[in-house]
Amino acid sequence: MKKTPLALLLAIGLLHTPLSVLAATAPLDLVQPVSDYKIYVTEQLDELASNTQKFTDAVKKGDLATAKKLYAPTRVYYESIEPIAELFSDLDASIDSRVDDHEKGVKAPDFTGFHRIEYSLFSENSTQGLDQLADGLNKDVKDLQNRVESLTFPPEKVVGGAAALMEEVAATKISGEEDRYSHTDLYDFQGNVDGAKKIFDLFRAQIEQNDKAFAAKVDKNFATVNSILARYKTADGGFETYDKVKDNDRKALIGPVNTLAEDLSTLRGKLGLN
Amino acid sequence: MPTPASGTPPRALRWAVAGSVIVMIAAGGLFYYASQLAAAKRKTHNDQVTVTIHPHSCEPNALTVPAGLNSFRIVNASERAVEWEILDGVLVVEERENIAPGLSQVINATLAPGDYAITCGLLSNPRGTLHVTPTAASEASANARPSMVAFIGPLSEFRVYVSRQSSVLIKAVDALSQAIGAGDLEQAQALYTPARVAYQRLAPAAQRLAELDNAINARADYFEKRESDPGFSGFHRLEYGLFDQRSTEGLAPIAQRLQADTVQLKQQLLAQSLPPEQLVSIVARTLHTLADTRANSGEEERYSHIDLNGFAANLEATRKVVDLLRPLLTKKNPDLQRNIDSASASLEAELNGLKTSQGYRTYDRVSAEQRQHISNKAKVLADELDGIDPALGLSGL
Repeated sequence: MKKTPLALLLAIGLLHTPLSVLAATAPLDLVQPVSDYKIYVTEQLDELASNTQKFTDAVKKGDLATAKKLYAPTRVYYESIEPIAELFSDLDASIDSRVDDHEKGVKAPDFTGFHRIEYSLFSENSTQGLDQLADGLNKDVKDLQNRVESLTFPPEKVVGGAAALMEEVAATKISGEEDRYSHTDLYDFQGNVDGAKKIFDLFRAQIEQNDKAFAAKVDKNFATVNSILARYKTADGGFETYDKVKDNDRKALIGPVNTLAEDLSTLRGKLGLN
Repeated sequence: MPTPASGTPPRALRWAVAGSVIVMIAAGGLFYYASQLAAAKRKTHNDQVTVTIHPHSCEPNALTVPAGLNSFRIVNASERAVEWEILDGVLVVEERENIAPGLSQVINATLAPGDYAITCGLLSNPRGTLHVTPTAASEASANARPSMVAFIGPLSEFRVYVSRQSSVLIKAVDALSQAIGAGDLEQAQALYTPARVAYQRLAPAAQRLAELDNAINARADYFEKRESDPGFSGFHRLEYGLFDQRSTEGLAPIAQRLQADTVQLKQQLLAQSLPPEQLVSIVARTLHTLADTRANSGEEERYSHIDLNGFAANLEATRKVVDLLRPLLTKKNPDLQRNIDSASASLEAELNGLKTSQGYRTYDRVSAEQRQHISNKAKVLADELDGIDPALGLSGL
């Protein structure tokens, strides 16, 4: 076909109209990534359940060393699926609340879950009196598994979850307040980042169709964050404690983490879910 | 030379000739009128299209119809029960199983514009074509579809269900194949049931995949030489060996192929997207075939008689879909939701009544009267399900 200057002008004009209008995502194209995300969450929860069982077994046996070693790698599975886990606020409180969430602090009877056990293991160096808390954590995780199983995932929560995870990193991981007794924050940090990237990857086809440059920018920031985290990986596949993280690395993380949180918060709009 | 007496035809004859010409013209007019009337009548019957199935071909073998609701009258002029399907690529859009020889059945299909294939009797028979042309109405309603955002959740969840149940099926078929490979007849007979149950939960979705589903689930009737046809494979070939021949001999390669086919099935099911209007129509179709034929004939599991297990699994999948759409339907039509729930409870109660401590009764011990009850209750449920798509604004494309 012979291109006339007019046709060229028209084509250029079209390219300048907002791309989201031209390449709007058809809602039904989101069925596959949303369902793949549920499959991912279910697998992560299976891992969380079996690892929580091992962790609480060690706690109840009074095996302090093993319990301390298993604490962080067990939590990672929870951290990676927080956007869904958080939908059940009662369980989120009993599994993952921090001491600050409770008026009476460590002594509060409803301070339960990972961080309460963390307090005893790392601050008091003891497994004393944890039996009930260990059983409760196990029960709550199984309850969470069942509830997620019968939950129809709201697509806007799934897509919005990527930003939620990065906001969580910005708010609680860089400061090192999440795992204040064990200083294993980098595990959670990586769990949040992986969970956010998983969501981004599942919707990549629709996002790229919409805005390729945006996808490249997000990829670049994920790569930066991951490369800084990789510096603190240990030989056993775990992470150094957070107090080992150098000041300039903490500072270097702030920029890309905030940008990711900001950029990913536009995903819902980009995918037509606002 | 003619005599004057015979020179002119008698007056009576002249009148007769004139009369017959008038009658002929009148008859022609009447014929024209009648044919116009018939054509008009056909129009009000939505241009029902007749397709005749001969032993090795369909007539006509190439159809063109307008988009929207179409009726096809399928006349079975072959000597055995046949099925007729409309295919969109590898996917079944609409089908009718078990059209008895010498009889005809009507299939109503709402078709979107496009090119489809039609199957025709035996699986080895050549396929025909079906061309659906767009109409003003089809274009307009395509533009007026309800927002699809509300269906992302239910459709995603159904895809997760399909993924899980496919994994269950693959495991169950692997176990069955192992028992067959080990020549353990009793174990293989026992493992046939859980594998079939897993399949029957997937059946509504799997039956969209015409070719692959035939490899997995076709009955002997659809093959020229029936049980002895080399093309007869899949579950029912195994069932025939295990329960009729009572032997695992020669079944190992068939079981291995079934293993490979179930892996394929999972992949293909997850790769196919399901339009929202089909989420309900696939389970409704499964229940209609249950009501129309399978319940009364017990033909599906004719060698093992484990039909009831399959019916219960069909109902389970139906309930999954109903539950997924519940939030939408309760808002749009709470009465229909209540009717569906009570019809599904009633079918379940009927099936449960045929349970013993060892599980469901074998179907050879279910009387004709009990079978009719199952059929009736499945029909009530299927008819109610047919109301969901219109209630959600999904019918008529």
